[in-house]
Formats: sequence, C-alpha cells, structure tokens
Amino acid sequence: MTFQELILALERFWAEHGCLIVQPYNSEVGAGTFNPHTFLRAIGPEPWNVAYVEPSRRPTDGRYGENPNRLQQFHQYQVILKPSPIEIQDLYLESLRALGTDPKRHDIRFIEDDWESPTLGAWGLGWQVWLDGLEISQFTYFQQCGGIDCKPVSGELTYGLERIAMYLQDVDDVYELEWATGIRYGELYKRAEWEWSTYNFEQANVDLQDRLFVEYETQVSALLGLSDKKGKGGGLRFDREPLERLVLPAYDAVIKCSHYFNVLDARGAISVTERQRYIGRVRFIARAVAESWYAQREALGFPLLRPAAAAQ
Amino acid sequence: MSAEFLLEIGTEELPSSFVTHGLRSMEQAGNDLIRQARLGSSSLDVTTMGTPRRLALRVRGLFATQSDRQETVVGPPWNAAFDQDGTPRKAAVGFAKKHGVEVDALRKRTTEKGDYVSVEIHEPGRPTDEVLREILPRLCAQITFPKTMRWGSGDIAFGRPIHWIVSLLGSAVVDFEYAGVRSGRTTRGHRFLAPQTFELRDATSYVDALAAAHVVVELDVRRQHMLDALVRSAKSLGGILEPDAFLADECVSLVEEPFVVPGSYDDAFLALPDQVVIAVMRDHQRYFAVRASEGGELMAAYLNVVNTAEDPQTITTGNDRVLRARLADARFFVEEDQKAPLLDRLRKLESVVFQSKLGTMGAKVRRIEGNARALADRVGADANAAGEAARLCKADLETLIVYEFPELQGEMGRWYALREGIDPAVADAIRDHYRPQGADDDVPDQLIGAIVAVADRIDTLVGCFGIGLVPSGSADPFALRRAALGIVRIALEGPIDVDLRMIIDQAHAQYAGDADLAPADQTRTTLDEFFRGRIRVLARDHYEGDVVDACIGAWQGGSMRDLRTRMDAVAEVRAAPEFEALAIAFKRAFNITKESARGVVDPSLLEPGPESELANRFITVRDQIREATTKRHYAEALKLVAKELGAPIDRFFDEVFVMVDDAEVRENRLRLLGEIADTVNGIAHFHQLATKLERRDPAVPA
Repeated sequence: MTFQELILALERFWAEHGCLIVQPYNSEVGAGTFNPHTFLRAIGPEPWNVAYVEPSRRPTDGRYGENPNRLQQFHQYQVILKPSPIEIQDLYLESLRALGTDPKRHDIRFIEDDWESPTLGAWGLGWQVWLDGLEISQFTYFQQCGGIDCKPVSGELTYGLERIAMYLQDVDDVYELEWATGIRYGELYKRAEWEWSTYNFEQANVDLQDRLFVEYETQVSALLGLSDKKGKGGGLRFDREPLERLVLPAYDAVIKCSHYFNVLDARGAISVTERQRYIGRVRFIARAVAESWYAQREALGFPLLRPAAAAQ
Repeated sequence: MSAEFLLEIGTEELPSSFVTHGLRSMEQAGNDLIRQARLGSSSLDVTTMGTPRRLALRVRGLFATQSDRQETVVGPPWNAAFDQDGTPRKAAVGFAKKHGVEVDALRKRTTEKGDYVSVEIHEPGRPTDEVLREILPRLCAQITFPKTMRWGSGDIAFGRPIHWIVSLLGSAVVDFEYAGVRSGRTTRGHRFLAPQTFELRDATSYVDALAAAHVVVELDVRRQHMLDALVRSAKSLGGILEPDAFLADECVSLVEEPFVVPGSYDDAFLALPDQVVIAVMRDHQRYFAVRASEGGELMAAYLNVVNTAEDPQTITTGNDRVLRARLADARFFVEEDQKAPLLDRLRKLESVVFQSKLGTMGAKVRRIEGNARALADRVGADANAAGEAARLCKADLETLIVYEFPELQGEMGRWYALREGIDPAVADAIRDHYRPQGADDDVPDQLIGAIVAVADRIDTLVGCFGIGLVPSGSADPFALRRAALGIVRIALEGPIDVDLRMIIDQAHAQYAGDADLAPADQTRTTLDEFFRGRIRVLARDHYEGDVVDACIGAWQGGSMRDLRTRMDAVAEVRAAPEFEALAIAFKRAFNITKESARGVVDPSLLEPGPESELANRFITVRDQIREATTKRHYAEALKLVAKELGAPIDRFFDEVFVMVDDAEVRENRLRLLGEIADTVNGIAHFHQLATKLERRDPAVPA
C-alpha cells in the first residue's frame, strides 16, 4: 500500500463512518489538534465528526534528513468524533482492517498516554496504540480545550502516517517509503528536511521570530477586543460583542505565535525560565479565542444542535 | 448465608496503575458499604480481581437477608420539642419525620443532662438483593483512580469508559444502573482472542468462564503465569531473566492473558553500556532483559509480554524493527555525547535554573566544589580529586542520553568520564554522589563519592532553608527530608564523619554572591532543628527513644559520629543493673539544680559525712570524667560516673537534706550538685531517660 493509498483508504473509511472529510490547515501547526476543525469544534455542545490529513511541523525534531525515523514535518491523520461514541475503539480497530491489518495476527495494545498541550490549555486521557511494539496512533478523550471543559467529550484519533506506512511497506527508512508507485518519500521531502533543519536550528532570524511572536500576540487582543481589565473572579473581559469579534483571524494569530515559539525553541533562543513564560502567553491568547468561539456559537444558538435534535 | 455475589465493571483499557489502584478502592468501598448496610459481618469475605478491561469484586459470606435494625435514637431536648402543654413543636415534628414515625411514637428519655426526645427504631431487615441494588451505584462511585475522565455525553468520571456491568447474586441479576449502563449477566472475553459477548450462569463460575475466554482475571495468578513464562523463555534462549519488579507490575496489567514472545537485536549494540540498553528496552518498549548468567553479560535478546500471540513470528519481526530504531537512536546519543568532554557541559549548566532564587545549576556546581574541597581537607582526603568530581557531578544532565533517560544520571557521567580517562575514583564519585537514593539504597562506600554526596545535599538544604523553603506536611518539593537523611546516613554508615555545624556554615559561606540567604546563624539554627528531627526518626530504629532524646539533648550539633558514640555508650551502660538507681539520682540532681546558680564549691561549708564524701570523690574523678568526655570515650566516662559516684550520690540523697534554711550551706550544696549534674549532662541528658520507677508512677517528676 503506497503512502497515498493509505491516506485514501482512511479517507474512504471515515467518510463511510459519517465523518466530514476536510483539508489540512493552511498555516504552520504542530499537530492536527491545532487545526480549527479540532481545536475550536471540540469546544461547546455541538456534535462534530471530521477527518483530515495534517502535515505537522515540529522544528526540534528535525535531523537534517539523516535519521531514518525522525522528521521536522510529518503527516498525521486526524479524526474527531464528538461526542465520542461508545464503540470508538472498535471503529479504530476496524479502520486497521481497512488498511489490510488483521488485529488478531498482531499484538495490539492500548498503552496509557495522557495528552496535554500547555500552549492550547488542552488536555485529555487516552492511549498510544501499539502494533507489535510500534506506536502507530494516539487516542485521546478531550477533557479540556482552551481552558474550557469539553461537554460532550470529543474522541480524537491520530494516526502516525509515516510509521504506519513504514510498517505496511516493510521498510526501515522513512525516505524509502513509496508515496506513489515509482516516487519515494525521499524524493519529496529529503531535501526539505535538510533545508528546514538548517533553517530551524541555524539560520532562522531570532529577532524576526521574536518580533513576529509579539506582533501576532498583540493582534489577538485587538481582533477580539480583549480588555486589559479582568472580569469577576479573574475571568477575561471583552469590549466587543461575540459576533463582532474576529475569532478565526485571532486563532490564526495564536497558531503563528505557537509556531514562532517552536522555532525560537529549536534555535536555542529560549532559556528554561523564559520557556514557561512563553507557553503561558500562548495559553492566555488561546483561552481568549476559545471563550470567544464559545460565546459566538452560543450567540448563534449553537446551529449544529438543531439537525441533531431534529434527527432524534 | 447468602449465595456468592459478583460485580464486574467492564471498561476500555485501564492503565496498569489504575487497575491496582481501582481494585484497592473497590475492595475498601465494598467492605465498608456492605457492613454499613448490615449485609455481613465477621464471616464476610471480599476479594477483588481485575485486568486492564475489567474490575471485579467477589463477596462471600453475605447474610441471606439484611439484619434487623433495633436501636434507640435520641433527638432534641424535650423542652425544645414540646410546649408545656405537650403540643409538639417544629423540632418534634422534624425529628419524627426524619425517622419515619408519627409524633405519638416519640418518648421521653431522661439522662444526666436532662430530658430528651427519643424514638425506638425497629427496622426489619430487607432481602439482600434489594439492599445491594441500592448500594451498588454508590460502590461504583467510590472506586477511585490516579486520574479520571468523562466520555461521550455523560457526566460520570471513571478511569476509562465503562462498557458493561455484571452483577450477580448467585445466579440472579442484581439490577442497577451506573454511568448509563444497566447491569446484567453478559460479559466479554479477551478483546482479540474471544471477542464475543457471553452470559455468566452464576457468580461462582466467573473465574473459570473467563479463563475459557482467554482472560486470567486473578491478578496474582496472571502474574505467576507471566513470570513462569518469562523464566521459561529466558531459559530456552540459554540465559536467565533479568528480574525487574517495576516492569512485572506494569506488564501484568497490560494484558488479559500473558504470552511471552522473545526477540533479538544486533550484537553490536552490546557495545553500549548495559544500563542504556536496558533503559531503552524497559522505558520505551517494556521488554525484559536476558543475561547469560546471574550477574553475567547481557545477551542480545529481549522478552516481550504480549496480549495476543497467534502469530509470534510477525510480532517478533515488528518488535525487532522498533527496538533496532530505538537502539540506533540511543547509540547516536551516546556517540554525539562523546564528541565533547564532560567538562564542556558546565557552560550549558549556566543557563539551567536550579531554583529561581538560588540561581543556576552552574552556580550550584561551583558551590558543591567549594564544599567538597573544604570537606576533603577536613577529613584528610584528596581535595583535588573531590573538587574534580564535584565539578563533573552534574555535567551528564546536559548529555543527550540523560535527557532521554533521566534515571541514567550519574551512571552515564561515570561511563563518559571513564572513557575520557578520568581517574576511576572521580568517575565512581560522579555516579555515587546520588546515593543513597532511598531508604533501601546503600550510601557511597568510597571517600570522594561520600564527600560530593554531602557537599551537594548540604548546598540544597542550606539554600532552601536560607530562602524559607522549608518542608511542611507532605509538601517537600526539593526532597529536603531525604537530603538530610542522606547526609546522616553517610556520616553513620559511610566512610566519612560529618560535622554538621561545619558543613552548614561552609555551605552558607559558598552562597555569598549567588543568592540572598537568611543570616548564617539563623539558617544554622533552623537546619540544626531539622536535622535533629531526621536523626531522631532514624536513630529510633536502633536505639530506645529516650536514649536518642537524652543523647541528642547533650549533643552540640557537630560530629554525627560523636552522637552515635554517645547513644552506644548510654545504651550499653543502661543495660547494667546499677543503672536504674544512678539515673534516678542524677535526674534528682538535675531537677533540683535546674534554676540554681553555678559556682565554686566552698569546702569549708561542706558537712562531714555523705556530703563531704561525695564532694571529695567528685573532685578526685571530675577531671578523669571530663577528659574521657572530651575524648569522646563516653562509655568509659559513664562507667567512671557509675563506679565512683553511684554509691556516694545515693547516700547523699538518702541522708542529706538539700534545701536547708541556712542559705550559705544550701547554695553551696546546690553548687556541688549543679557541677555534678553539668558534668554528667555533658555526656547525655539523664533527665530525659525514662526510669522504671517513672514508668510505674508517672507522678514522679522528670
């Protein structure tokens, strides 16, 4: 099964199981979770079932294209099922069958792996899924997103596409993967890994990244009308009505901040003490966006609750 | 007696630690609720069983019906409940309603404190299944986990989502609902090997029925199966299993039926330190290691506990591939680490925060070095070697391999140091300065290691106490109690004595310029107190509590071995038959002179007889006792006291009245007793020693 066939098989499987098939986000994200189809939609009472590929950037994981297993950009296949159906594990195992893997012939185990994104103020409990000792997926029940309790809970399935493809194609080197017949992964990404590793570790302009971080951080407050003053009990206060706030552009700015922080981190430009402060700053603006998103959906009367109620 | 009861809660895969934790709380809750509900007493037998996918509770010895409740409940004062004319007030009506009776049923109960309203409660016992139905939802709610989660649209939090509940009393379902799941008799087998649901005939058939469905539900039985299979498998590879209790605990509840599948890796990886190979296998993959023989060489093989082994070859191929990549990563880290000497890492430590008010790890390392050199000079060790070891002791924290496997700190520092050709005594000290890690761990057995271990710990202690970071209750984020205990144990069990006062002052002086600490004397006082507390706890394992207190009382807070010598001496002397009388006498001498002025005894004021005898004998042996005390020959000093002063002081107290009216004589007498008391108290505080008389009659003042 080629890399693209793997993607197509997952797309087909999850489409048949009621998921909206959407596209990757067009900004630099560290994981599929950052895509607004996950981060924002996991907030609030509305149901949401979605699946998509997400090219994910982790600047510190770059190895100049020299390590057969590590990449600064890899591909996740992300599935969100909200509320998490009780048969979610069975669905997941069935999806493995759709990839031609019979779970009974292998040792498949669900190993504790709780997930936390300090920058997004999000966390959940779940597992990494092992296939014969190889971590092929992460499985998370979201408990909080942007500091807001998830009600209902979203089930998130994240497939590590390169890992799964390497196992399916029985290769030890990611660059040897067949993306499509005759075209290898290395052809597409080996040079890219070297260039981005060199950029992230050596050449990214620290002042520029730092400035961009601050500029985008400021944007969030402006776009949301976030007040300097705190509300009752230390809550956030906004000077704009929910529907006046530009939640999506503000969230874009959060994603940018998170990315520039990652690049600064890879450049070794952030000390241990500063690190916590940067994370806290991103978490703060992520929370402002999350609360605004919720307020906006509420002002709209949670539109997606209507078809769900009608169906019942 | 009722039939056996079974409760099974079927879940998604619970983490290993959740299984043990959940079962423990389930057993507790089961026991409590069943007893409170009067469904069982002494013959009640509550046991738990579980796997990652189920928590089960088995109850034997339940009553067939709930026992009756017969009791008198006393309520509000009569006057508050009824008017003078007997009209019931609110309090009476409320009390009657609460207990489900009419106001007419309330009775007056006269007690010492006055009249009260009371009611006779007689509640006939109800059928056991009916009561169980009520308490089971509560039992489920009382199961706890290290972390809980919600799922779907529900509000209940549990370790992982609940899928089914079996609740059988004998062969009958006890019907209830929890987390939106109705109880029944339908359970499930192994997720992959017996995925069909099936019905349980009755509670007693549970264990066997599950075994037939590839689930070994009793944790101990499953563990034994797993360990047997591991040992067998290691043997078939021609080696022996490297035991690992942590891994065994973890693996046993990662599977419902344990199978062991062996695998192997390239011999070339054995060039890595054993600890690295083991850490990769254990931390990342949860594999057991295999050695050629007991304590022998590592074999290029591993044992993998798996949940399904229909196709072992496929599983091995997959796992071999994963391990190969992991070991290749580790080798890369070790090779990268060796491209620069350890000493180069010190620069990086300059940007790592030790504690925000206490500065960086780089500064800490410089202080450790200062402390280590001073300590080495003091105990006559090689100060340069101690200084070098101190300088290098934290360097491996900045290596890639320790970043990946924090538990290899020290070990890897030593390994890299040896590779660089650093003196083995220094290299060993890099590893050993972390010891003792806990109560079961040995202290460093070599000089340099012990010195750096003390130098590091006292720096942390003085720094934290100096900024008011003092442990309170269970909060001890810098593990200061363990650090203090470590120093005490090194001094008592290791190759060097430690002078507490000296190391505190030394460590405090090292902070100059690095951090703003409380003044030295203040830090010394609080730390002295803290150390005495730790020593007290530790010493009580070896000495009687009052011996410890008496010696800690006399100890000046310097040499720790000095304190131990005192405790040994007192413990030894105390065993002698004449000790009792002696202790009482010195206790009296101390008590009577507690408030009185000290000074030179005037011989002319001494009364001939017991008083003169005591004074003369004391003057004769005083210097000998003091000399023995100064030389820390406490046993000798105490024996001298007993032999020379025992009889005279007894006679003195028998025959001489101290508090005479004549002020001159009385004060002189007190000066004599005071000097004797002070001399003896220089060895141990006798007034803190319990005597048999005292144990008999607590009225005798201590």
